[in-house]
Amino acid sequence: MIEVQHLTKRYRHATAVDDLSFSIPRGRITGFLGPNGAGKTTTLRVLLGLALPTSGRATVAGRRYRELEAPLLTVGAVLEASNYHPARSGRNHLRVLATAAGISRSRVDDVLGEVELSDAAKRRVGSYSLGMRQRLSVAAALLGEPELLVLDEPANGLDPEGIRWLRNFLRSYAADGGTVFVSSHVLAEISQLADEVLIIHRGKLVAQQPVAELIARAAGATRVRSPRADDLLARLRDAGIEAEVAGDGLLAVQAPPETVGDLAAEAGIPVHELVVDSGSLEEAFLELTSESPE
Amino acid sequence: MSALRAELLKAGTTRLLLWFGLGLVAFLLLVLSIHIGSHDRAGLGQLSTQRSVFGFAGLTAVIAILIGAILVTAEYAHGTINQSFLAVPVRGKLLGAKLCAALLVAFVLAVGADLVTLVIAELWFHGRGATLHLDRYTLAPLLGAVGASMLAAAIGIGVGAVFRRQTASIVTILLWLLIGEGVIGIIGDDARFAPGRALGAVAVAHSQGVADRLGAWPAAVIGLLYAAVFCAVGFLVVLGSDVPSSGD
Repeated sequence: MIEVQHLTKRYRHATAVDDLSFSIPRGRITGFLGPNGAGKTTTLRVLLGLALPTSGRATVAGRRYRELEAPLLTVGAVLEASNYHPARSGRNHLRVLATAAGISRSRVDDVLGEVELSDAAKRRVGSYSLGMRQRLSVAAALLGEPELLVLDEPANGLDPEGIRWLRNFLRSYAADGGTVFVSSHVLAEISQLADEVLIIHRGKLVAQQPVAELIARAAGATRVRSPRADDLLARLRDAGIEAEVAGDGLLAVQAPPETVGDLAAEAGIPVHELVVDSGSLEEAFLELTSESPE
Repeated sequence: MSALRAELLKAGTTRLLLWFGLGLVAFLLLVLSIHIGSHDRAGLGQLSTQRSVFGFAGLTAVIAILIGAILVTAEYAHGTINQSFLAVPVRGKLLGAKLCAALLVAFVLAVGADLVTLVIAELWFHGRGATLHLDRYTLAPLLGAVGASMLAAAIGIGVGAVFRRQTASIVTILLWLLIGEGVIGIIGDDARFAPGRALGAVAVAHSQGVADRLGAWPAAVIGLLYAAVFCAVGFLVVLGSDVPSSGD
């Protein structure tokens, strides 16, 4: 659905995106992660034709955005929530976009209903809360009933209710066969939402994996608690297993819990606790972005 | 056509045109009242005086150049240019639609200003017991006002596209009209080729030029050249630059 090939974007004094290549499959939710300044927004803006690449190519359905015959019918984009004329009503904002894209005006009322803004449709956008403006952005993206949604930090500034609304909405959109490419630095949100994540750092790709695999990668040591922790530590080291004291009677062992449990049983050492430190997307993210070269 | 309709809808769904229109009516009422009131009845009977009264409709060109610039820069100021380019990603097409919309708006505004000028003049002349002679000679400035306003709107689109910043565009236009056009007068009669003076010559619509003022048609050609140059430069700037973003 999305193909980015050797994309580079240089500004006068900085390289925002550096030879970035990836592809996003259809029908999935892909999270686009990276620290602030990693190049996420720049990549999305090049993809959407709003920024010109220094070199390389970014395409949607095999074409550059500006080459799409009916762009709003192919891609719906949610960018900054501040992209509105404050004196224009929500409905008129959408009418302008629908008119420009040749979309029927009846669709405007449909999408206002979908994002639960029908009651506020005639109000000026300047009087909208941030959450309402974000919903209006989503409504604009949905005007053309596109097969791909591209969202840049859509949860920014949303309250918990707004975040839940957005999460449910995107899940429902993907369940209906839509493709979602969503950038964010709210890792907990992405881990609940995305099938796959793509992580960039300093403009370079550092990982593209299913969320489950990435979390497994970050899975930590096995924690084992025993009243004879010193004996167990010695047995583990004798067996060539890396282990260290992590607290009173607690060891952190770089081995699966089955290995640790079997070894303790063979040695007759009682074990009171045996758990795997579960990984998180945050840990994987921090590991990957701190590993990256300067 | 859909891009043009969207641009007209943008212009009509804010209060920009309403305030400019009301401001223009108020200004015309003021300056026409002062101008007509400063002439005695005999003076009002002269055709040259009546023609000069209709020449005030040319003030619409000042409003038109500001509207042209604002049609472009307001999109950048509010960030709506992002969604406009998402809906119409071929930038030349969007800018072309803005140019056409500005020309249409300027045309309607100038025709409206012509009508307002006619009505105010008729009321004043009638009230002072004078008669307006509506013929080709006296009415020519009303046609000139339409031409000058459309040229000014096109120049405004170009200036707006060059700067893309609303305050910078408006301040530059006003500084040029209020100060630059005066300063350039030091070069002598050649100052008649300056953009403001050329548009002024279109507005007053004298068929023959004089030493320091072009005739209407040569002035229109010069105005057209300015519009073409400003639009070409502005469009090249927009085509070759990134749309501003507040993201990373």
